[in-house]
Amino acid sequence: MILRYDVAVVGGGHAGVEAAAAAARLGCRTILVTPDLGRIGQMSCNPAIGGVAKGTVVREVDAMGGIMGRATDATGIQFRMLNRSKGPAVWGPRAQCDRARYPIAVRKFLDELDGLDLFQDLVTGIEFRGSRERIRSVRGLRTRSGVVVKCEALIVTAGTFLRGKIHLGQGTGHGAGRAGEEPSIELAEALGAVGLRMGRFKTGTPPRVDGRSVDFAKCERQDGDAGPLRFSCYYREPRLRQIPCWVTWSGPELNEIVTRNLERSALYGGEISGQGPRYCPSIEDKVNRFPTARRHQIFLEPEGLDTNELYVNGLSTSLPAEVQAEFLRSIPGLAKTRMTRPGYAIEYDYFPPDQLRHTLQVRSIGGLYFAGQINGTTGYEEAAGQGLIAGANAALAVTGRGPLVVERDQGYVGVLIDDLVTKGVDEPYRLFTSRAEFRLLLRQDNAGRRLGALAREAGLLTEEQSRALGRRLRQEKDGKRWFRGYSLDPARANAVLMEAGSAPIDRSARVGELVKRPRVTAEALAKAAGADAPTLESEVLATIEFDFKYAGYVRREEERAMHLREQAQFRLPDETPYGRFVTLSHEAREKLARIRPQSLAQAARIPGVSPADLQNLVLEVRKWEGRVTGRSMVNGS
Amino acid sequence: MSRPRLLDTIVAQATPRGLGAVALVRLSGPRSWEIAAGMMAEAGNAQGNGNPLREWPVRSGRLRTLYRPGTREAIDQALVSVFRAPASYTGEDVVEIYTHGSLSIPTEVVEGCRVLGARVAEAGEFTQRAYLNGKMDLTQAEAVDDIVRAASPRARAVALRQLDRGLSRRIARLRSELIGLAARLVHHIDFPEEDDAPVPVANIAAEADGVMGRIDRLLATAPAGELLREGATVVLAGPPNAGKSSLFNALVGSERAIVTAEPGTTRDAIEAVVAMDGFPFRLVDTAGLREGESGIERMGIEIAHRYLDEADAIIFCREVGDANGAKGWREAEWKGWREWRCPVVSVRTKWDLAGRKMVPDGDEIPVSAHSGEGLAALKDRLGSMIFGGLTRGGREVGGVVTNRRQADHLRVARRELESFAGALRKGIPGEFASTHLKSAESALEEIVGVVGEEEILDRVFGDFCIGK
Repeated sequence: MILRYDVAVVGGGHAGVEAAAAAARLGCRTILVTPDLGRIGQMSCNPAIGGVAKGTVVREVDAMGGIMGRATDATGIQFRMLNRSKGPAVWGPRAQCDRARYPIAVRKFLDELDGLDLFQDLVTGIEFRGSRERIRSVRGLRTRSGVVVKCEALIVTAGTFLRGKIHLGQGTGHGAGRAGEEPSIELAEALGAVGLRMGRFKTGTPPRVDGRSVDFAKCERQDGDAGPLRFSCYYREPRLRQIPCWVTWSGPELNEIVTRNLERSALYGGEISGQGPRYCPSIEDKVNRFPTARRHQIFLEPEGLDTNELYVNGLSTSLPAEVQAEFLRSIPGLAKTRMTRPGYAIEYDYFPPDQLRHTLQVRSIGGLYFAGQINGTTGYEEAAGQGLIAGANAALAVTGRGPLVVERDQGYVGVLIDDLVTKGVDEPYRLFTSRAEFRLLLRQDNAGRRLGALAREAGLLTEEQSRALGRRLRQEKDGKRWFRGYSLDPARANAVLMEAGSAPIDRSARVGELVKRPRVTAEALAKAAGADAPTLESEVLATIEFDFKYAGYVRREEERAMHLREQAQFRLPDETPYGRFVTLSHEAREKLARIRPQSLAQAARIPGVSPADLQNLVLEVRKWEGRVTGRSMVNGS
Repeated sequence: MSRPRLLDTIVAQATPRGLGAVALVRLSGPRSWEIAAGMMAEAGNAQGNGNPLREWPVRSGRLRTLYRPGTREAIDQALVSVFRAPASYTGEDVVEIYTHGSLSIPTEVVEGCRVLGARVAEAGEFTQRAYLNGKMDLTQAEAVDDIVRAASPRARAVALRQLDRGLSRRIARLRSELIGLAARLVHHIDFPEEDDAPVPVANIAAEADGVMGRIDRLLATAPAGELLREGATVVLAGPPNAGKSSLFNALVGSERAIVTAEPGTTRDAIEAVVAMDGFPFRLVDTAGLREGESGIERMGIEIAHRYLDEADAIIFCREVGDANGAKGWREAEWKGWREWRCPVVSVRTKWDLAGRKMVPDGDEIPVSAHSGEGLAALKDRLGSMIFGGLTRGGREVGGVVTNRRQADHLRVARRELESFAGALRKGIPGEFASTHLKSAESALEEIVGVVGEEEILDRVFGDFCIGK
């Protein structure tokens, strides 16, 4: 059987889902092929979405028309804003989701898209154009059951499945992409055969337990935020019943059990070679590397509304199941606990992402795109962001349109992808706010303003989303105009100021000035103005408040961003012959040739390329361009 | 200097022009071996000069005849050494040619290299290349100039410390402290769900204060450090016939190291560069300060005041016999002097004429140009007064601020750090406050030149001598 599509997506995780949806929204005939259609949008690790920086990515994906935010809203069973006690630029929305309902919601939203087909099969091969020695571009894929899909662009989002291998204690290693699921061996081999560099990472999950066996009286209850909190700026999904998480702490006894069994761990027994994430260590790592820490915090996260199962966050491990059962029982509240699923470590192949362009296309092979864990990242959110960008760019390329690139000062998605393609990875990559040099600009509440128009111009938004975006941006604009122009008299203002513990005023003052004071909120001021204030949603009021409160800092950051943009004007063509630039250090030449930055600004971010190298690079490129074109065309003089 | 041109090969005479036993001509750049080989090639005898330079052992000398390019006309017999990139002063391929030290030979060698395709180097360009090729950081490059210009042993010692990364290391320590502060904030912001309680914001502000204190200490070396380059200007002042010229001669005479007396009458100012206590001083003898009758005296007074305005210290001289006299002085002028920015050392001259019962006023130093009494005490006082911040226990401290550029960046770093701590204390959220921290960090980076800015380069390398 031969099927023909514009874009084919391999894999149905968070990256694959967004990739397929984005390609379909851009009008491409798209097919998503995955071994189990029942697990589309599966949450393989903890049942939660969002967090600091990550939650902002979800909002960005949503602002660009993606699925993750809406699906989280529809299946969230606890919503919290992390870092609320800190500044608004680092707030991070996070939600516990119902693990069973989430994939159903995702599947439903995918089904709303015209031009997107789903197909259940294991992809075992890729077909290319060009000769064996010089592969030019991708032509299609083959599945185990012999189906051939011809396509112009192929997006691989294989997650942890490429030569995936699971460990539950020393000597238990076996091939699997997730617990109970078959790994992708042939696909890994097919990709390895075309000359791409590969690496191996590992990650892990903790055990899960039966909630009926937990003594919650010995745990600390953690409820979600009281107020309304949602991810999507376009949709209002009805909210499910909300339930709490629980917190407990392991004690010295657990440390002792882990230490005693350390050699039975696959990690410490030397069976696992891949590099794991430092910020998400296994309990073996925690106990071994920080022996003085007597206790470790453990979150018991509900798996859903229809199940008693709890996810024991903080105890990722590769120890044998019996040891896991033993150390679980040492934890207050879990003394009689029954384990439902043991945790495990998983190793998998990834492809160092410095082989990609900013569009996430493999630089050496036309039409081939990678997104998600295959690029060495972790996290549902990071995967979704990449999936959307890969899917959009595949579709834009197929239809002969220009690329969609989010810049570092426009979104965490831009920071993520630029970091990947510029610096590569040496451990599984996760986003932090500190990776974003312009994080004051990248707030969770202004994703629509940052990326909505960009997505609309690229064609990623539906009519409905476009209208919602327009409404929101109009409200922000009108609101800001009102705050700049409207003055509040002392009688009405002082009640608000007093409430906030701020000094009273004796003559009328602009609300835009008053809102800059600590603890004075836009909402309170608007309320004090009564009928004089325009009707604004509370989310819009919050955005306006942040804009005014930190305007000085934001302006400073915007100026820095402008400066960087100027540097980005100096383009570096793909065919730049770095190897011939003898005035550059050897290391710089090697790195530039490998990474092939698009601009001087990107070259400056490559570790090992010094300021001196950059100066020489400018000179060399000008000289080379002069030779190639007869005169200096591209970058002036 | 415009944009550095690293693609070409540069040449310059590295030793001063003039007669001497040896002169050094240095070539640096991708074509330096080829050009040097060209200098050794006698026309019509291409193979006559042995192995090509690329096969020579590096860092050893070979004696070769140099020819005017394209002729059989020998210029000189010279010792030629090759250095292979990156193991050379500039980090590029380098050839050093030691010729006889005549006026014309090195000039002809440079000209020959130019004919063969080298460009005559601009001031400081060899050191600039060393910096651009990562052989040294900016403070080290500046130190090279300081060493060459050092007019006193202590100034040289400080510059050598600088070349040995003295300041760079202090900056690196400060920078790593800032990174430590940033790391606290990252923990605070990016890992809110971690078990360990984050460091309270107040503690971070207090730590920032500590770093500010250390920047202040480093900045405190700046006035003295900057004076190391040109020498501290010390003006001898006092009424006519107070023995200023004798004291001047006595101070200059015993430290004859470098004397450049300007021509002038007794009514004019006379200047000498002198090393005292190992530190460089510009000693200035002025005309009497008392308002005179004649036009010439008035002129002398003008000169005196001009020097007094730029003085780093004043030696105020009164002679022994002036014990209670010169009242006009004390009231009309001395008062005004106290308001000057620079410190004043009072000396009582001609002490050899003093009677046995005489004691100096207050902290006056009794000196005698005739017997030499008190000169050592005066030098000691001047040295510690102006350069005291550069020594601890008689030894130079490691890493000082030696020019305006370094001090400016340090002040920016300090100011940003102050804003950072202030913002935290005002309750401004950490991610906003940390933008100040980032700016402080970049300011420190600019001192050692981690950030490449053409302007800085132009300023740093502008006043360099050729060939270093």
